[in-house]
Amino acid sequence: MSQCKVLVVDDERDFLESLVRRLQRRGLDARGVDTGMEALKLVAEDPPEVVVLDVKMPDMDGIATLKAIKDRDPKVEVILLTGHASVGSGVEGVELGAFDYLIKPVKLDDLIERIRDARERGQLMRRAFS
Amino acid sequence: MIKHYSQLARRMTLVGLVVALLPLNLLGVGIYYYFVSANQEKLKEEMLVRAVNRAEAIELFLAERTAVLEVLAHSGQLARLSDQRELTKALQVLNRRTSTFLDLGVIDASGNHRSYVGPYPLQNQNYRDAEWFQQVMLRGVHVSDVFLGVRKVPHFVIAVKQEDEGETWILRATIDSEVFNRLVRSAQVGLSGDAYIVNSRGQLQTPSRFAGGILTPTDFNIEAVPPGNTVVERQVPGGRTLFTAFTWLSSMPWLLVVDQDPREMPGPLSQARRVDMAIVWAANLLILALVLLLVRLFIKQLQANDRERAALDAQVAHSARLVSLGRMAAGVAHEINNPLAAIGELAGELGDILQPEVLAQLPEGNICRDNLTKILGQVERARGVTHRMLKFARSTEPTLEKLDVNQVVKESFSFVEKEARFHNLAVELKLDSGLPLIPADRAQLQQVLLNLLNNAIDAAGQNGRLVIATTRDGTFVQVRVTDSGPGVPPEVGERVFDPFFTTKAPGQGTGLGLSISHSIMEKMGGSLAFESPPRQGATFIASLPIAGSGTG
Repeated sequence: MSQCKVLVVDDERDFLESLVRRLQRRGLDARGVDTGMEALKLVAEDPPEVVVLDVKMPDMDGIATLKAIKDRDPKVEVILLTGHASVGSGVEGVELGAFDYLIKPVKLDDLIERIRDARERGQLMRRAFS
Repeated sequence: MIKHYSQLARRMTLVGLVVALLPLNLLGVGIYYYFVSANQEKLKEEMLVRAVNRAEAIELFLAERTAVLEVLAHSGQLARLSDQRELTKALQVLNRRTSTFLDLGVIDASGNHRSYVGPYPLQNQNYRDAEWFQQVMLRGVHVSDVFLGVRKVPHFVIAVKQEDEGETWILRATIDSEVFNRLVRSAQVGLSGDAYIVNSRGQLQTPSRFAGGILTPTDFNIEAVPPGNTVVERQVPGGRTLFTAFTWLSSMPWLLVVDQDPREMPGPLSQARRVDMAIVWAANLLILALVLLLVRLFIKQLQANDRERAALDAQVAHSARLVSLGRMAAGVAHEINNPLAAIGELAGELGDILQPEVLAQLPEGNICRDNLTKILGQVERARGVTHRMLKFARSTEPTLEKLDVNQVVKESFSFVEKEARFHNLAVELKLDSGLPLIPADRAQLQQVLLNLLNNAIDAAGQNGRLVIATTRDGTFVQVRVTDSGPGVPPEVGERVFDPFFTTKAPGQGTGLGLSISHSIMEKMGGSLAFESPPRQGATFIASLPIAGSGTG
């Protein structure tokens, strides 16, 4: 199986950088950006298979970013990551097409598992629609 | 609180009584005075009728006597009547029916008696200068006023003039005052009634009970009495107010006076007046009783409503507090979760880097390894705390979901576990694993269970026992919380569910917990009950319908 292309979006830089490096160490093709705008740019230029998206961010929040990503490329799978257990935003996210939502702090192994599940669904979808 | 109610009760009673009693009594008094004045009018009318009747009788009496004398004078000749024996016979005839005539005399034109029969020695009396003699010579017939006369005894005379064989003579008779007075007195009624005759000079012609004897001047001005028949109200000496009927006789200038004290005469409407008073009094008493009763009922209802509302307010405030607490908890959890996530990632990365072969090259590398593991352990612990807080926050939003009651019981118990341990309680969880899921609000059920658990821990005291059991009972799922405390005294009974009922020391409990829990359970379509056998502690039973309440 080829390397999984993952984009992590989070305004918390310490978290972001460390998580990206760890994912890379686990053999994923991970990149990180700290705003929703940059994430959209990257999705346009070089679409990842899975986006791990923080819900609460300044300027453009996770839900808005999710909508924009799904508008541009519905095949990109999104996992929402939130420090807040607001069921509301979680359910809203899933309704808008997110694959799942996880509550911070999340164990790396759990996250990688969800990323692989999301990638699998994305691949199935791509095969089905291609 | 109590002072406020009694004040309200007083004010309502006052207003109620004024509103109801004022018009009633105004009406009652109005009717009473209407009766009084109507009664007086009636009384005056009656007096007038009586006076006119009596006056007619008196006139008839005088006219009859005059007529008798005229007949005698016309039929007998002067010569015959001048005879003493003949005159005596005539007087006997006249007095055959009623002995009205005291004496009888025949007087010639010069005023000398020709003959006389009677008890008095008047045989040689000359009347030329007597007023009545001049009047009868002038008019032919005359009824005199009462005068003292020769004998100085009050009396009055009837005299008729007759021409016979060219000679003028007069037949004169004295009227028995007693008979006449009796006739006048018959117009008297009651103890205070008075009736008498007054002549045109204002002198009493018959004796009066109160106004004096014969020939006494009257206490009113005779000139002011209008002609005909009148009734007046007048003050008499002695301060009394009298009703007086005045009736002028038509044949002569005599006035019949009839006095009556209106206070003495009950009058025809006094019965109605008494009935009026009785009705008003009865109505007053009835209204008083009704107002007092209604105010008491109203205040009782008001108190009940206020208590209910206070309980409801307390419940709403409690829920609101819970929701805001939940929001705060969620906010705090979020703020902590982000740095916690960063710490976890950073430490995790260090762990990735510090593989055993790297650690082996470091001095005290095993300590680094241990610390990293511990940091991750502490992150995990903090995560547990924040996740619990978030769960609690979520639970404060009212939502219906399929609940695993056992799960909720365990969660609720986890909140009070420390407290139970602190009291050194032996806790037993007897959960029925076969319970169906039931639709209910997690937070509300949790609130009820927490309330029951807290109460049970308080009741059990130190080193007690606590049993929490779940069972299925027909179409209900029951949670039974049993403590080893003193139980619910029989005299308290169902009052434990009353708002503000508490057995705890002041400041220790609001007395609302069970009341709120009770209403929550009822709203969910369930119930909250208790069992308290003597000396075996208390069991509180929360029952929830398996089918749900349908309303949420």
